[in-house]
Amino acid sequence: MTFRMTFRTWCLGGCVVLAGLIGIIESRATDVFLEATRPDFQKIPLGVIGIQNTSGPEWLGGRLEEVLKADIRRSLVFSLVDLPSIGIKVRDVGTGPHPAFKQAKENGVSVLVWGKAGAKDGSKDADVSMDGFVYDGESDEIVGGKRYVGSSSVVRLMAHRFADELVFRYTGEPGIARTKIAYVSEQGSARELFVMDYDGYEPRQLTSDGFLNLMPRWSPDRRFLVFTAYRNRNTQDIDMIELATGKRWTIVSLPGLNITPALSPDGNFLAFASSHEGNSELYKLDTRTKAMQRMTTHASGDLSPSWAPSGRELAFASDRSGGPQIFLMSADGTNVRRLTFEGDYNAAPAWSPRGNWIAYVCRTPKKEYKLCLITPDGQKRVQLTAGPGVEDSPSWSPDGRHLVFSSTIDGKSQLYMINADGKDLERVTFTGAHNSAPAWSPAS
Amino acid sequence: MRATLSQWSIPMLAGLLLVTVPGCSKKSVQSGGDTQSSQAGMGKGAPGSGGAGDLSGPIGSGGAAGGGVSSNFPDTSLAGRDGSGGLRGLDKNPGEERVNGGTMMAKLDPSQGGRQMDEIRSEQAAADAAGLRDVFFGYDSFAISEEGRLALSRDAEWIKANPGSQLKIEGHCDERGTSAYNLVLGEKRAKSARNYLVELGVSANRLGVVSYGKERPFCKDHSEACYAQNRRGHVVVKSGK
Repeated sequence: MTFRMTFRTWCLGGCVVLAGLIGIIESRATDVFLEATRPDFQKIPLGVIGIQNTSGPEWLGGRLEEVLKADIRRSLVFSLVDLPSIGIKVRDVGTGPHPAFKQAKENGVSVLVWGKAGAKDGSKDADVSMDGFVYDGESDEIVGGKRYVGSSSVVRLMAHRFADELVFRYTGEPGIARTKIAYVSEQGSARELFVMDYDGYEPRQLTSDGFLNLMPRWSPDRRFLVFTAYRNRNTQDIDMIELATGKRWTIVSLPGLNITPALSPDGNFLAFASSHEGNSELYKLDTRTKAMQRMTTHASGDLSPSWAPSGRELAFASDRSGGPQIFLMSADGTNVRRLTFEGDYNAAPAWSPRGNWIAYVCRTPKKEYKLCLITPDGQKRVQLTAGPGVEDSPSWSPDGRHLVFSSTIDGKSQLYMINADGKDLERVTFTGAHNSAPAWSPAS
Repeated sequence: MRATLSQWSIPMLAGLLLVTVPGCSKKSVQSGGDTQSSQAGMGKGAPGSGGAGDLSGPIGSGGAAGGGVSSNFPDTSLAGRDGSGGLRGLDKNPGEERVNGGTMMAKLDPSQGGRQMDEIRSEQAAADAAGLRDVFFGYDSFAISEEGRLALSRDAEWIKANPGSQLKIEGHCDERGTSAYNLVLGEKRAKSARNYLVELGVSANRLGVVSYGKERPFCKDHSEACYAQNRRGHVVVKSGK
């Protein structure tokens, strides 16, 4: 298995985003400056020739192509080249050396992708297949392909999987096209947990107890969610649910609040807030020994722990200075220091999986609740969203290039995705009266 | 060779972490057998029963798990993941990979939805019949206003006149601010109201508190008039368990 970890690759993950953000901080001008500091040529130019439909359902090839292109665009690893604009006819696919290769090379297109799809050969069941091929301009050869089969209900997943293979081939990282987002959706007067694909498709309801299930977080192995739940109208717990079986059980039920659980990146500790000793404090539960350690000691509210990817530190919210602010501490509860000083309300920290940023909800001088990013050393801060709408619950994609969050920008609370540089705001939920508290899964 | 979704959900994040964050994930790892046994045990910990069901009992800081922490905690540590995310790479002669959906998510098992809402309605009705009043709060605030004191004084009279009753104060917040912080703020509001009632001579053990943050608003518009309705300590007569 080959993968290349080049400077270009590294730069796509870290420095492009960083450069863009520094741009915002230093200039406060937004889009114009960003375009100048984040040249798209650093993305790998990729063209999708087309997915040809050979048999099977008429929509098949088109659907695969549409999903694949959206994944490629959202990967932020590739820039999607408009092939007709450089004279390459889409859907004109061959299997051997092809005139399009030369054309692509001459026009600086590094990667060409095409495929065919149809009913699985000789199959009596309704299975479909997708064959995808990849031409690499640098080596000037067809570097390989994939062949997927499955029922017609997994067509989107085939395209997602192929997109992740492309990202993996060119970055060594598994990509985000197969990731999922857990969230809370209002059902009548109840709030229930749902999980959907990262692009908003295939929502599935996970709980149906008719009451309140809030703020899910993933286990690092993606098998479980931990969340804030109400066992009944008097008692509030931290619960866990296993996705594959739907089994659900209570893991913390101390008196008072039991909220904002977060599993450590290695899965060995559960950090959470509980008010059983008077006011909301942070605790750490060793998931193997079940030993519980109190991490904070303060007369005010401490909550919302978010682990650094190293597992050695946590960010959290505390109102020990008046309004809530973001603080950091070591995983043993020592070395507590305040991180945010701008504004009188900063909460819901989310530490980036790359470690370099902490996203949070910041209240602006106009009392708007927007998203901000700050570096863990507090040296750089940037407001990521602006305008109307109450934003909440930022959660990072596992590649650290996107955030998902809730906003009332369109009226009722819905979920949105945005790049870490503030570009490409995209709404991802369209059904349901009130969707909130998104949590992006780890990479698969 | 066939790869299923369930297979490629297994070797995933550790390697990603190793790629991006050298130096983590060095914790000891339990065997797959342990995973199986702890999963088998989970079935007993149905919601609201067994496992962590005991609300009472002292939990010592730093001590072993007490009544409030479940012993049914599955092995969530990362083990044996290679970072490929189940991807096999491109191949010049690609083998067939089967793509399965649905292996990750169970079918929903509908349970006893709605009962809590019925109970809430009956508690509300009892509070209405008793003429109990709610206390309202300012933006960001959990301080009891003069008007709030008046409302709570009248509530206190009723409570003292009805010695068999159990009361509950629900803390609520408007939609602004984070879900998480509003749960803390809601608890502060409920406790403010409870503390004032205790000052007025009501026994603390007759007064429960629960915070709903911004999750059960009385009013759903995005206006200050609506927000003011939602910043509330809602006093109800507790019924049942």
